[in-house]
Amino acid sequence: MSDITKTERSRRYLNPYLGGVLLGLVLLAANFIAGRGLGASGAIKSVVATSIEVVHKDAVNTMPFMAEYAESHSGSPMRSWLVFEMLGVLVGGFISGAIAGRLKLKVEHSPKITSGRRLVFALMGGTLFGLGSQIGRGCTSGSALSGMGVLSLGGFITMMAIFGTAYALAYFFRRNWI
Amino acid sequence: MGPLAPNGIISENTNFLLAFFIGIAFGFVLESSGFSSSRKLAGIFYGYDAVVLKVFFTGAITCMVGLLFMSLFGWIDLDLVYVNPTYLTSAIIGGVIMGAGFIMGGFCPGTSFTGAAIGKIDAMVFVGGLFIGVYGFAFTYPWWEKMYMAKYLGEPKVSESLGMKDGLFGLLLIIAALLMFVVAEWAEKKFPREEY
Amino acid sequence: MKPLKLLALFIIPLGIILAAVPADKTRRFKLSADELLQEAGAGVQFISPDVIADMLVQKDPSLQLVDVRTPEEFEAYSMPGAINIPLSNLLSDEYTDILNQDARMNVFYSNGSVYANEAWMLTRQLGYENNFVLEGGLNYWFGNILSAQAPAQTSPNEEFAKYDFRKSAATALGGGGVVTTEGSAPTVKAVKPAVTAKAKKKPAGGC
Repeated sequence: MSDITKTERSRRYLNPYLGGVLLGLVLLAANFIAGRGLGASGAIKSVVATSIEVVHKDAVNTMPFMAEYAESHSGSPMRSWLVFEMLGVLVGGFISGAIAGRLKLKVEHSPKITSGRRLVFALMGGTLFGLGSQIGRGCTSGSALSGMGVLSLGGFITMMAIFGTAYALAYFFRRNWI
Repeated sequence: MGPLAPNGIISENTNFLLAFFIGIAFGFVLESSGFSSSRKLAGIFYGYDAVVLKVFFTGAITCMVGLLFMSLFGWIDLDLVYVNPTYLTSAIIGGVIMGAGFIMGGFCPGTSFTGAAIGKIDAMVFVGGLFIGVYGFAFTYPWWEKMYMAKYLGEPKVSESLGMKDGLFGLLLIIAALLMFVVAEWAEKKFPREEY
Repeated sequence: MKPLKLLALFIIPLGIILAAVPADKTRRFKLSADELLQEAGAGVQFISPDVIADMLVQKDPSLQLVDVRTPEEFEAYSMPGAINIPLSNLLSDEYTDILNQDARMNVFYSNGSVYANEAWMLTRQLGYENNFVLEGGLNYWFGNILSAQAPAQTSPNEEFAKYDFRKSAATALGGGGVVTTEGSAPTVKAVKPAVTAKAKKKPAGGC
């Protein structure tokens, strides 16, 4: 791999517009087949709910979060569309990475910071995103992308809030990226 | 006549199986477009890489055009397709928190799974963070509950709330997206970064 | 060609087509069972026969009476200007344009109001608007409009006003008893210019 020039490597990513069209078609298929769009954070919610229930069987009665989750999901909490979808995402990402030769265990970070610092921010970012996705009823895939595909007002608002805030804060975190 | 699952044309189990395959396609497209790299994802906020904008909005308008055409041909009943509900307060607050998470972590849930799948440790740590965040929400839910349920507006579409037809709004969105792409390409040329 | 230009070239025409298509086609509206129950319970579909009589007298062009009985019954008697859409054929394609439109007010009637109400529920479920039901049906129409009974002396003035109105309407519309008019020839009388459709006009009179 090391003798392939960097520009060549990046060309092995799909043209973004083509990627966008393909993504749109996947989303369209999801809407046609399942009557719903894609998503991601919901799968995490399912796993969390399942784990809480396993450890604490009565959680539905003691934790309002669990009660609220049970209302909208009948049956076992892991039997959720998103859980199956996210398992597929792992597989699909792996296959694509394998084909393109991008499989590599590493911490990706700007050369100007250490990998430790990158990991700290990844953890903080993930925590915030996890919290935000629950409050916002979806993440960029579920609320913003899928929401926009069906013209949902809530989806649009969330998307604008996400991107607007990220832009607003970009200056403060620039050291991590550029 | 779609959508297939809500119309009972396919069973729930088939639906879940297909969800898995749709997920495979989703993950594949994400990774192939470069969404497994946090530096590419963050690039839109600094101008050097507009992949997020291009893929995201192209995806949204492709799906939207597709749905509207399918409805036009009678292939899908749009009333049975899930439209995300609008809870005004939590949509904004959640979005703001997510935006902070995005610029700090450089991922979102879907892309972090994709990154983790190809071995990116920062993506895996991000996923760990996601779990922490969701557990946190679960255990502190009563704090959020009031805000979480505030200002429920139903499931309006943007076109409805602006008082225009879906098709017209679609055209406007397409034009807006294309203009954004033009600006984004200009920015990419202006703020180039070394490859990563 | 640059990918962006290619994308634009392809998707803008699609967007224009979608924007140009009339709104009805991109959404098939259906009422949920709850919504239908609410409307049916509130009785929003009923139109009082007095209102119909008034519209007929005024020759209001926005009114379209729809007889949902069998063709034989329709031949025997029909209301002025009525067309016949037998209930069994209600969903046939040839009537869609009549039932799903927003120019005129379709008022279903039958002998009682059972069939007319069924017609209303069916069309309402499909999301059609501007369809209504003649309250009381032909039975009420004959008994109370065309053969209006004079109210007892002790009745409130309103009753008298109604009676006066109904008598004059009955005269204008061809009086009591079974009239064998065929289909659509409206009664010829002095034509007052049509007032906008749904205004409930109370006839002059009263205290």
